[in-house]
Amino acid sequence: MSPAKTLHIIKQEDFDRLLMWLDPDPERAGLTYEKIRWRLVAILASRGCTCPEELADETIDRVARRVIDIQASYVGDQAIYFLGVMNNVHHEYLKRPMMPRPPAPDDNVETKERTYLCLEKCLHKLSANSRRMIEQYYAEDKRAKIDLRKRIAAELGIGLSTLRLRALRVRDKLQTCIEQCLEMGSF
Amino acid sequence: MANNNGHFEQNNSSGFSDETIRRFLLGELGESAQPLFEQQMFTDAGLDARVRLAEIDLADDYAFERLSAADRILFEERFMVTSRRRRELNVSSALRDRFSMRATVAWAEKITVAKRWRHLFGFNRPAWKIAFGVLILLILFGTVLLVVKEPQITQRITNKVFPKRSAPRSSPQEVHHPTNNLVPEHQTTPAPMALHDSANPLTESAVLFPSPPDLGKTPTLTLPNGENSVVRLRLAVLDQTVPYRAEVLTIDGKSVFSVDWLGGPPFNVDVSASLLKSGKYQIRLSDARDGSKKEVASYYFWIQ
Repeated sequence: MSPAKTLHIIKQEDFDRLLMWLDPDPERAGLTYEKIRWRLVAILASRGCTCPEELADETIDRVARRVIDIQASYVGDQAIYFLGVMNNVHHEYLKRPMMPRPPAPDDNVETKERTYLCLEKCLHKLSANSRRMIEQYYAEDKRAKIDLRKRIAAELGIGLSTLRLRALRVRDKLQTCIEQCLEMGSF
Repeated sequence: MANNNGHFEQNNSSGFSDETIRRFLLGELGESAQPLFEQQMFTDAGLDARVRLAEIDLADDYAFERLSAADRILFEERFMVTSRRRRELNVSSALRDRFSMRATVAWAEKITVAKRWRHLFGFNRPAWKIAFGVLILLILFGTVLLVVKEPQITQRITNKVFPKRSAPRSSPQEVHHPTNNLVPEHQTTPAPMALHDSANPLTESAVLFPSPPDLGKTPTLTLPNGENSVVRLRLAVLDQTVPYRAEVLTIDGKSVFSVDWLGGPPFNVDVSASLLKSGKYQIRLSDARDGSKKEVASYYFWIQ
């Protein structure tokens, strides 16, 4: 049976209690929740799970149902508790018969086109410097690219590692912007 | 420090290099290092952020074909297992297409064409989709209503588009004699012949309908003998109020005979038998009022 089929629908009150347990401030709680989920997914994927998102949700579901029992007595970083529960979920997953990997959704031409349009829009939202950096960072490939990056780093008076970090941060912003653009359909 | 692959051997407070983070993402961390790394992921916010950036970097390297063959396989099998990572790869591919020197022109075309169409009429708006849907439904509903409520209109339209063909009467018809026993009076004075007929004795005729050249049922006429014999071709036309120009051509397109002003009904084209010989012919009909001689219909017939 697929792990997804064993999931319970998380009750709203359990979920609210979970968020409250993570942080009394709802906004910060939401961010913490997202971070924990992302970490769980990354770890489960690294362990070779074919459906890390489903297992991460199953972990969160179990924690949410247990919060009522542990919130008064639990001491320490709440995020660590998730790691323990995730180990149990993963252990159970390994005992299940191996399921074929679900096929990746086919990204059609329309999705690609929309991504292109959103990229163009998000590039225009960047500051002139960030845009120039991204343009140069991704301009050429292979050997030429490394030489070019050295030149950009020298121009900016920074090291290559700092240049990479800056470029990736801008790239991360672009990712967020494009995902929001796609979600809202505002291309 | 940059190595030859453009990656960076960097140690920080977490003690994990960029290469270790990449091995973690590709599911290749050793059994001893994995639990430690996982623990650190939950306790070291710095490592968390680095893994996030390394994910994007890895997707970029895959899209830009900078991964080794072995890492490409690991990437596809171990890394591409979440929807978020698939979205990251989509953006990496878009960046590659956007900034790669080779693809710059193609990109510009892609953007302009797609954007032009999308934004010219705002076709991406849901309102358009709904409006088109409603319009199609209305047309369908109206058609059904017309067929059900007004069959005579439907019939009229059908008749106009596909005129009813009257079978050419080339075979002799039965004559209905009067049933009374009166002796028929012998007609001493023959009825005067029509001027046209008296000048050109008609010996063969056929009714022709517009048709494509390769239609199987092309009418066949026998070429009459005699110098003054005429073959009469009666043309069935859709609009009988218009004067036409008719040109008789061999199937090779050679003009045989033409009438510049053909009024009707009936629309008869009388061709002297001496102009015809065995073979397939075409009659090209055009509007006589139109100087362009644009063809409005074609008729075909065989001469035996």
